[in-house]
Amino acid sequence: MSAICEYQAKDYKSDLKPIWCPGCGDYSVVQGIYRALAAIGRPPHEIAFISGIGCSSRIPGYTTAYGFNTVHGRALPIAQGIKLANPDLLVLAAGGDGDGFSIGGGHIAHLIRRNIDITYIVMDNQIYGLTKGQLSPTSQKGRITVTSQHGSLEEPVNPLLYTLAYGAGFVAQASPTDLASMASIIEEAIRYPGFAFVNIQSPCVTYGEEAQQIKGLKAISENLSTLGHNPADRLAAMDLAQQYGRKLHLGVFYRNPEPAPTYDGLIRERQAALSKGAIPRERILDLFIKK
Amino acid sequence: MTTRGIDFKALSLKDALDLAVLIEQEAKDRYEEFAAQMDQHRTPEAAKFFRFMALNEAKHGEELAARRATLFGAAPVAVTPAMIFDIEAPDYDAARAFMSPRKAMEAALASEVKAHAFFMAALPSIQDQGVKLLFQELSGEEVQHQDLVKAELAKLPPDSGLSDEDFVDEPAAQ
Repeated sequence: MSAICEYQAKDYKSDLKPIWCPGCGDYSVVQGIYRALAAIGRPPHEIAFISGIGCSSRIPGYTTAYGFNTVHGRALPIAQGIKLANPDLLVLAAGGDGDGFSIGGGHIAHLIRRNIDITYIVMDNQIYGLTKGQLSPTSQKGRITVTSQHGSLEEPVNPLLYTLAYGAGFVAQASPTDLASMASIIEEAIRYPGFAFVNIQSPCVTYGEEAQQIKGLKAISENLSTLGHNPADRLAAMDLAQQYGRKLHLGVFYRNPEPAPTYDGLIRERQAALSKGAIPRERILDLFIKK
Repeated sequence: MTTRGIDFKALSLKDALDLAVLIEQEAKDRYEEFAAQMDQHRTPEAAKFFRFMALNEAKHGEELAARRATLFGAAPVAVTPAMIFDIEAPDYDAARAFMSPRKAMEAALASEVKAHAFFMAALPSIQDQGVKLLFQELSGEEVQHQDLVKAELAKLPPDSGLSDEDFVDEPAAQ
């Protein structure tokens, strides 16, 4: 079926109407995802889309793929379980910066070191929007919110440096300021054979600051390809990633030119190797019977 | 506003008509999305206007599709929706909860200006005379659409100069 069908973006759009605030960057992100999935061409029933909690975590419901809007911060462990249980599925995980780098921050390192073949899309709006504007792990220092009335005293987490430092094989950044580039980046991330991370600067129109809106983002955005960046150079990627929050670099920061084996692939190999000498299921009780 | 994989130099009249239909379809879909967003956020006047725009885009798309059918029958379509990004569709960022009809109309006007700019920018690259005439016609129609929106804007009471955002509550928790 998948070999003969050509899918269009609309084939991945569900009938559920998004209830994000009008103007939210996530509307563009979901469009970018529809377009990327159409370019990949896998039918919706071969895709699982897992999310945590937050505005952006509503996204699986807006697609025709299998979806699971899980619990706060736990998108990645559940996505991992799904990938290991059914490695043939294309597994996407999504959420916000709070879900990914605060509540679920501990999980990213382990998916990266295992190199599970999952694409993780974070819609980074640098605020907790769903709960009405609290400081998030990526909020800039000095940011005034309902939980930081005199300005944040904390340095933000840098999602790009964080994932690069743990050794992710694919790290990229996109933004609704350029929908075409965002769709291409998501497509490339999905095609990468291993854990792929895409940070999307997606403005919160209700609680975001003026500088974080589309106009502000456009003013600081720069395409990595125009800078002559070599995405195979991890150290150069880390150098550029340090400008997170000051510059909006769009494109692929790092793509491992020699992708490591995936954990799900290794599991399959191990299962195949062990099953060679294994007793068939119907004879399993023989192990407990004295001869 | 971007395109991907379109070679304007080699664009045939059939493909140009198909492309024009897709552009109208994209705009219609976006206006319908905006109308749904406005319904969701209890902004009925803006929703009504976005539905009016969706109908206009649909009508224009149907006219273009009929013309394509007359000229080329059931010849296969070689262009896809994946080739166009926000040509005539208003940018997602243009919508706001509780936006006034004036703001909604200004968003539509900006989209018509954007579409006109697209056709004008493509014209110098086009080699085919039929495509050139079509793009000139379409850019002219975008100007007519701008006039249509301006006429709707003129029906509104004078702008108070105040921002809509000064009068709204925060969105309800979702």
